[in-house]
Amino acid sequence: MAQGTQGSQSGLAIRRISASPDPAPDRAPGARTGPELAKLIDISRCIGCKGCEVACKEWNELGVEPTENFGSMQSHRDLSPDTWLLMRFSEIEVDGDVQWLIKKDACLHCEEPGCLYACPAPGAIVQYENGIVDFNHDQCIGCQLCVSGCPFDIPRFNPATRKVYKCNMCVDRVEAGLEPACVKTCPTNAISWGTKEEMKALGAKKVEGLQGRGFDNATLYDPAGVGGTHMMYVVPHGDQLAEYDLPADPIASAGALAALGGLRKLGASALGLGLLATALHYLGFGPQEPETEGLGGAEAVPVGAGSEPAGEGAGPEGSEAGGAGETTDG
Amino acid sequence: MKHRGDLQRFTYGERVIHWVAGLSFVFLLFTGLAFSHPRLFWITTLVGGGPTARVLHPWMGVLFTGSMAVMFLIWAKEMLIQDQDRAWLKAVKHYAVHDKDKVPPAGKYNAGQKLFFWSMALLGVAYVVTGIPMWMPGGALGLGPFYGGVVNGMRLVHYLSTVGGGLLLIVHVYLGTIAYPGTLRGMLYGSVSDAWAKLHHPLWQKDQSGS
Repeated sequence: MAQGTQGSQSGLAIRRISASPDPAPDRAPGARTGPELAKLIDISRCIGCKGCEVACKEWNELGVEPTENFGSMQSHRDLSPDTWLLMRFSEIEVDGDVQWLIKKDACLHCEEPGCLYACPAPGAIVQYENGIVDFNHDQCIGCQLCVSGCPFDIPRFNPATRKVYKCNMCVDRVEAGLEPACVKTCPTNAISWGTKEEMKALGAKKVEGLQGRGFDNATLYDPAGVGGTHMMYVVPHGDQLAEYDLPADPIASAGALAALGGLRKLGASALGLGLLATALHYLGFGPQEPETEGLGGAEAVPVGAGSEPAGEGAGPEGSEAGGAGETTDG
Repeated sequence: MKHRGDLQRFTYGERVIHWVAGLSFVFLLFTGLAFSHPRLFWITTLVGGGPTARVLHPWMGVLFTGSMAVMFLIWAKEMLIQDQDRAWLKAVKHYAVHDKDKVPPAGKYNAGQKLFFWSMALLGVAYVVTGIPMWMPGGALGLGPFYGGVVNGMRLVHYLSTVGGGLLLIVHVYLGTIAYPGTLRGMLYGSVSDAWAKLHHPLWQKDQSGS
């Protein structure tokens, strides 16, 4: 949350705050800004060693989770509150050859973060100027709406802490001018780190290279539906996005959520107007009192109390008991 | 609290279930509004903070749903719209301005109360259907995870239903308290005065006195 921290590459000025009346405010005057940063994953260079998974666990001090052999090179079946990064392996046949499609499954740090837009807790999710989307667990209320707001199915809920967790791009390292742990550890340089512009240029170059080597469908995955991401992939088989488990056209904010943003102002106003209308009605028409009695009951006014003996004859005890019985039956 | 000539209107059981539903609905309304708009998030402080509000909201929803189901079973038959109700509805504008001579006589419940009952029953269903995916976005009832558009759409319906229910609650509380003195005690102590019944529910009053 600190703005313009000393020694940082781009500072940690805030760009967006979840559940703030204006989630995308103009930069505060004088706020330090810097370039957007990004990770680039060159899937064609990945050898599936999972060194990045280990580095992630080490740096972020995430617990070890037992796993089992389920017929895959994959270490665990799924992401978890303690596994923010998972190398997903998918074996498919391409042109008669078996291909290993590897995907580094972790938060993509969208420019338009669906999780942040969906979050109802002020300040529980922030996006820094450098593009990193971070969860602030002090403010998280555990509602998990970020889970359903994410188009990539990344955040994971921990029922024990009732908070949601995901990759924070090693924001503590980045703030100190270091690269994320997974970038540092990768032995084949499959993960690159730099400004978004640099990484886009590098990605384009890598794609060109792959296409020259016969990967005609190679592509840079930086989906426009979420405004681009701060973790991009160089995908050798760009026509097999589904096999990589990469949504072809993810969107940050489904129409219903955007509509909700506008409607909640209308709804709150409607309730306020409802209260106002009853107040005006009361002032205009007042209470409608029964004729022969005052308020009755404990609030009986002297006039009402005086008229009671008259009612005594009209409503004998017997009919009253009968009435009670009938109501019970109904 | 009971005076001579009073008519029994609600049994002890009816009153208990009504207040369980009513108070749980107020809790749900206020915590729900807190989740709906950042400017109202402070309301969560009143119930112990954001995480506590998030834990309690769905369970309070279970309580509300349960009490609504009981009320439905108790009252559905009495709430069927009849001919006298259609006549009453046509004269609703006279009712609204307390022009009682032009309002056709109502039975135990007038058409407005009956429509309130059916509207809340419908909204109750909407709250449950849309609330469960929001309670457990990871999946519930073996339906698998609820992602993206599904939950966002559910949030929209849940929210609109809340605004509808909130408006109905305002009218319900207003009419049941300061607008029509003598009404609240029916739901508090069970009995209403004969004069009150004559004014608001003449057909019922006649029926009760005649038996």
